[in-house]
Amino acid sequence: MVIIVQQQEIHNFLVKYFTANQCEILVNTGSYITVQLTVELDKELMNRPFYWHYLEKTGGVPNPMKLTLITDQKKAPEDIKGEVIHFGSPRLHQIFHSTKNLAGYIRLYEDHQATMGQQVPLRPWLGMNVKISYQCDRKRDVFRSIGLQLINGQLIENFHDELLKLQLARKIPDYSFTLSPLIMPNSGVTRIQNMIRSNILEEDHSWANDARERWSKDMKLLEHFYEEAEEKGESYENEKRALQEQYEPKVQISIINGGIFYLSEKAI
Amino acid sequence: MTVEIEFDSSWQEGLVEKITNDGPWGNFELYKLAVEVEKHTVIDNFEGLQAPKHLPNLTPLPHQLEVAKQVVESMNGKAILADEVGLGKTIEAGLILKEYMIRGLVKKVLILVPASLVTQWSYELTSKFYIPAVAQRKSYVWEQCDVVVSSIDTAKRAPHREIILSQDYDLIIIDEAHKLKNNKTKNYEFVQSLKKKFCLLLTATPIQNRVGEIFNLVSLLKPGHLGNESVFNEKYKKDSRDINDNEHLKELVNKVMIRNRRADTGIEWTKRQVETIPIELTKEEQDLYDSVTELRSEGDWTTTSAFSVMTLQREACSSREAVFFTLKNMLEKKENPSKEYQDQITYLIEKVNAVHTNSKAVKALELIQQVNDKVIIFTEYRATQLYLQWYLKQNGISSVPFRGGFKRGKKDWMRQLFENNVQVLIATEAGGEGINLQFCNHIINFDLPWNPMRLEQRIGRIHRLGQEKDVMIYNFATKGTVEEHVLKLLHEKINLFEKVIGDLDDILTRLEFGSFEDHLSDIFGNSTSEGEMRIKMDNLASMIQFAEEVKDGDYRAATGNS
Repeated sequence: MVIIVQQQEIHNFLVKYFTANQCEILVNTGSYITVQLTVELDKELMNRPFYWHYLEKTGGVPNPMKLTLITDQKKAPEDIKGEVIHFGSPRLHQIFHSTKNLAGYIRLYEDHQATMGQQVPLRPWLGMNVKISYQCDRKRDVFRSIGLQLINGQLIENFHDELLKLQLARKIPDYSFTLSPLIMPNSGVTRIQNMIRSNILEEDHSWANDARERWSKDMKLLEHFYEEAEEKGESYENEKRALQEQYEPKVQISIINGGIFYLSEKAI
Repeated sequence: MTVEIEFDSSWQEGLVEKITNDGPWGNFELYKLAVEVEKHTVIDNFEGLQAPKHLPNLTPLPHQLEVAKQVVESMNGKAILADEVGLGKTIEAGLILKEYMIRGLVKKVLILVPASLVTQWSYELTSKFYIPAVAQRKSYVWEQCDVVVSSIDTAKRAPHREIILSQDYDLIIIDEAHKLKNNKTKNYEFVQSLKKKFCLLLTATPIQNRVGEIFNLVSLLKPGHLGNESVFNEKYKKDSRDINDNEHLKELVNKVMIRNRRADTGIEWTKRQVETIPIELTKEEQDLYDSVTELRSEGDWTTTSAFSVMTLQREACSSREAVFFTLKNMLEKKENPSKEYQDQITYLIEKVNAVHTNSKAVKALELIQQVNDKVIIFTEYRATQLYLQWYLKQNGISSVPFRGGFKRGKKDWMRQLFENNVQVLIATEAGGEGINLQFCNHIINFDLPWNPMRLEQRIGRIHRLGQEKDVMIYNFATKGTVEEHVLKLLHEKINLFEKVIGDLDDILTRLEFGSFEDHLSDIFGNSTSEGEMRIKMDNLASMIQFAEEVKDGDYRAATGNS
């Protein structure tokens, strides 16, 4: 049952992805889709740089590919030729990756429903969606979405969810003007970083201590193994470095995406 | 205690650039999708397996999932996977690899397997696990591809060696790792110098006869886990029969080794039906066997060529072709052979020429026709293999040969031919390892290897997961020969064929028993009478039986992975 729901989700995701990238969806049966790729998406997904290079040199007519993706193998017609997509398939992960790649930075304005004639000030916010990975020989991740108001320095969590409740537009709506930030976006990013950093430092780090314990245990064994060797040599150094890579606890913070959002006062 | 925190700073730089250039900005739909994807793929727990969710077309068995979980959660990604043959070690390794890849802990992977398995491994990882594993064929592959499958023999040679040693691997998987039991070999030294974060050693036969071998294997994985060499030797080797010490050793080994037995898996295995087929030699064949045997009593042969005599005896039980081949070699390789030596060989070759029927081959043909299904014939000798192929062909049965020396492609091709086109596959020992033939359920042991583990490897080719029928094992034993004695010992006295693999292995190890083969050679080579031989064989059998009884007592608790 879980898998079916998941496959449906994947199907919807693919439709959204291609639509958002201005690709025409030629067939959509619920069990598979056929998409006419745009030139941009062909370059992004189909991995044929030589073709595009050749075409640009010769000035030929570009002929981007059609892609058929099957999301429900049981219901799709048997004679349909395409790639079967599931949660583990490389194609899906390529598309996941591309999604992040293509939408790393954004700038949006709140499309507020203001009364005519009244000028509405829009305040600048910096929004960042981040993934925090706690890594040693094991790993876990936490997703956080943080917003920073660039005038008064207000910080809020779950910023992305707040955005989803609003109407947002790429262009500034009528009867609006933007307020200039007092905090520059660049230092805003640093502020958010610092906040995340201090939050992390306050957390319980028994996982890291455990990892260090495992590390030192293995390190002791290694020392013992080479105890009697006069020259410990390269393999000792290799093993030592490998243990560090295996166990050393660290927290890695990567930014999924983010951007500048101009929002009305009552928005948040 | 503080933890190192790393911030990906590239995004910040990108943002400043976008602001300066006033775009281009992304599309909100995609932006939202990216967040959705991330929320979906975030793994918020150190524990638990993610891999199964990513593998809709694979249903791992409970013991395989348990192994993967244990390796990741409590063995820190360094383990010897030592399940009995046929329990799916490849699946276990694939699950672990997939888990680490999904969690982003592993990217660069080196998989070293016997040459015959390179294609199969890369195929299985790609098709079952959606891991783009590349079979190494070009030297640029090492650097350009993240997951590479190769044989050790290729990897350790220039120019590959230098490239591989210069890289940091996140995970190294070595199949048939028991071949690395000797720390003086080039292969061992090569594997030891690889840079690896996580490591999986796969073997069905982790401890072959000597405790020192397990030391070498574990030291490859986790140097120092069993102490250093001199401490280890002092503690376990000198007084290896001290049960307390061995218990301790087993406990240590079990921290880095997982060994599932068929019986533990809860899977209903198909039965093994073993049939001994006595073979009556023809007068000429018997004459050849006797002539070879008589060599033993002739002074200079015993001292210089006891091994050859025994080899010839065993070959005489297989085919005249095998005997002839060895005789020819003996003559060609001997420097300045004496007249007597030459005469002796010529005399034996005459005996070879006198043989016109191969009684075993006749029986094999009859059996194949009667079975009327796919059959694998195992023989120790290439000459026998060639002969059998010819003989069966003469009688309208086509077969394919299988040898360890075949190139990958040829092995795959032979396996496919056997599956789809021909009735019989004739394999020599070296070819017995590393192919899966569970679509077949009949084995003929045309002659017997003297190493019980090799016999189990043979059976393991077909009696594995995926075998749906009972497995029929036909053992050919020529009456009144060494073969009959060996079979009796293996089959009747120690019930080898009904036994699960590993049991005997544990027993032999426990006894510090030395190689089984050496014992047999000693018995057949140095017994002066039939009676003495019988007594020695009985002794051997009771020793094994005794060890088994001890094992059933307190010993099992330490070896099992409960």
